Amino acid sequence: MRFDEVVLAIMRAVDGQRTVSSPYHLIKGKKSGQTIQDIGYFGLHPYFAVLPKLDKQEYLASIDRLQTQGYLIPDDNSVKLHRSAFDLEIPSTPLNGWKYRSNENRFFARLSLVVQTMSNFMQGQKRFDPVVTDETVQMWAKAYLNRIDFRSPAVQEAFKNQLESSLALAKTTEAHKDILMERLSGYGVGGLTWDQLAMEHKLLPIDVKIAVVEAVHAWLDVLEEMKHPMLAGLLEGIVQTSALTESAKRTQNLAERGFSLKQIAELRQLKTSTIEDHFVEMAMNDPAFSFAPFMDEHLFESIKHISKELKSMRLRDIKERLPEASYFQIRLALAMRGGVT
Amino acid sequence: MNLEKLLYDAYGYTEFRPGQKQVIEQVLAGRDVLALLPTGMGKSLCYQLPGKVLPGAIVIVSPLLSLMQDQVAQLKKMGEKSVIAINSFMKPEDREKAWNTLGTYKFIFVAPEMLVQPYVLGKLNALGISLLVADEAHCISQWGFDFRPDYLRIAEVLPKLGNPQTLALTATATDKVTDEIKHYLKLSDPFIYSHPMDRENISYDIRKFENDHEKLEALMNLVAEYGGPGIIYAGTRRKSQELAERLLTLGIRAAFYHGGMEQQDRIFVQQQFANKELEWVCATNAFGMGVHIPDIRHVIHFQLPSSIEGYVQEVGRAGRDSLPSLATLLYAAGDERLVESLIMDDLPERHEIELIYERGEEAKHLIEQGMMRETAYRIISYWRERLPLQGTLNQIERLKIEKQRQAASVRGLVHSSGCIRQYISMSFDQKNPSIPPNCCSFHGIDHSLFKGNRRELKASQHGSWKERLKVLLPI
Repeated sequence: MRFDEVVLAIMRAVDGQRTVSSPYHLIKGKKSGQTIQDIGYFGLHPYFAVLPKLDKQEYLASIDRLQTQGYLIPDDNSVKLHRSAFDLEIPSTPLNGWKYRSNENRFFARLSLVVQTMSNFMQGQKRFDPVVTDETVQMWAKAYLNRIDFRSPAVQEAFKNQLESSLALAKTTEAHKDILMERLSGYGVGGLTWDQLAMEHKLLPIDVKIAVVEAVHAWLDVLEEMKHPMLAGLLEGIVQTSALTESAKRTQNLAERGFSLKQIAELRQLKTSTIEDHFVEMAMNDPAFSFAPFMDEHLFESIKHISKELKSMRLRDIKERLPEASYFQIRLALAMRGGVT
Repeated sequence: MNLEKLLYDAYGYTEFRPGQKQVIEQVLAGRDVLALLPTGMGKSLCYQLPGKVLPGAIVIVSPLLSLMQDQVAQLKKMGEKSVIAINSFMKPEDREKAWNTLGTYKFIFVAPEMLVQPYVLGKLNALGISLLVADEAHCISQWGFDFRPDYLRIAEVLPKLGNPQTLALTATATDKVTDEIKHYLKLSDPFIYSHPMDRENISYDIRKFENDHEKLEALMNLVAEYGGPGIIYAGTRRKSQELAERLLTLGIRAAFYHGGMEQQDRIFVQQQFANKELEWVCATNAFGMGVHIPDIRHVIHFQLPSSIEGYVQEVGRAGRDSLPSLATLLYAAGDERLVESLIMDDLPERHEIELIYERGEEAKHLIEQGMMRETAYRIISYWRERLPLQGTLNQIERLKIEKQRQAASVRGLVHSSGCIRQYISMSFDQKNPSIPPNCCSFHGIDHSLFKGNRRELKASQHGSWKERLKVLLPI
């Protein structure tokens, strides 16, 4: 998937209902209530936080290309796609941003350092400049390497074989795997920069960045399944057990202890609107979430019904028809599973 | 004490590099020391080795985050484990942890802006400091080419730390700057070691052209005829990118490097260069720190440097192995205009100064809004605490004159007809150097010495991922 296709895929879902900058926030992984609830409304889980360091200029360049190609119609208020944008065939993607939350970067940093260290030691080089400067990663890698006894040739061989067999199984193209491997360094072999990769593969730098994220996500899916003791160690803390953001998790704990929304806001010294965002997040992720404390059955059904009738997720449209509902109630109802049918 | 034995036991080296032993002896004798050692002469050993003997902590004040990180990495690479760097970019919990375990570290790197915080001072005081090291001490000079106002604050905190023994290190300093370092760091009767700035194994070549087109053509001929590994300093980010692309189309292995790239990519370029996967790096002056390659054969300046000090530092990356190396400066008519405008752009302007005086701390927001530059803000807020508006305006005016002097001395480098080596030494108030063979374009260079030794580079690894994995982990 090229970067422009990622943007288009998101735009096709939110067409007419969100601003042109909303895909940008989603791809960067902004943790605002709006962005997070949109993931549930529009089924945008694959694309959340896939490029946390995305530069605004790079995004605008993509918008520019999409407009030049005629897929996107310039509009100040919201995404407005041309019909041709819907005819376009967009390849399926192994991206799973909502699950990995940019943690793939930590995984890849660990892997880079572990492979570099093993590569150097295997070839008799015990002193080298680490390719990852982050001290937390360095300390983690050191502990990991010692734990698996990385100096042993048998371990080295097993490690390499497991890397090879698991990556072979990853559901992504060979070209993506080539690019991913070129980001790793070893003894006498430096990783390639985004620009070098772009030139070699005749892609844009932003496209090779997405390619690596796709390949790593596909690979992580395999590694989680395989449960190789050695490689599984690299996943420590990478896959979140809870789908909630850290802050929402804290709100959830308090809610479970019986505190009301207002009380939680006071206790945590946060704005009520922030706590509302957390409840929306919980509604999205927890199939057992109950709306009962916030609205009655009748209002809940009305919101759902109107959203279906209008074929709209726009809060304002629904509010116009249902003035008695608060924005929070509408967001909550829409966020619950089966929000759109 | 047998220093050679200590050196061997600690790091496995059998001999000192010039200057190191004299400096270390004096440090161990308890004297304040000011050491002027060219880059690449192993400045850090001057406090590392004393660290093996002195009872307390060695606190190193380092002006740049990247420099600090690089030095920590180098120390660790030499097997030194007891090292920590504390700066304002750390996560609060990491910093908290660092403070609580500070007593377990021998080498503590601190950013100057942290040093002045009472909390930090308290922690350091409780520790017992054996030696305070001011790295890149020339940054203390208001007239220098990279003045850091925070550095002046070192002087202010010294009494609060009980005036510890001090070691000032720098690669470049004129007499004027040396005096300032002595004054501000309150070095009492210091031992001064001044290594000749001159690097005999470097030949200086300056070539002049009528216009940019000719200059570019000359560069293309140079890279075709002369071997690397080499650095081409390009002046701007965009230019570094452009030049690398041109070299690549000629089939020459090159990459660009500048501060706008993400850190991982910058590390990749450094490593490729160190691995000899690249012949040339086209770079801005961001390239250099963290590059520890002894056999760089050629440094080319495609743009005029902004100061002689900067020039000497950049050229000094060549030939650390003492083998003959070439420094080529390419000049096209009018180049100095670009440099002079860049230099002057760095200075705070009158309206910025007035704004900061009016608004104080609040002016910080103007940086985000793009109405003020961060460097300007830092310099001015330092002076604001100490001088009335007019005083600061005068101060900046004097700074401007100094910058103009620097620009003039770069102009002189290109336009004075004479020995380049002598010109450089003179700029640093050093006595006339002896003229080695192949000294410079004035005294004549035997170019066959440098031509045609283009080495075969390793074949590039552009196979499938499985093949690359086999290269990374050959088993």
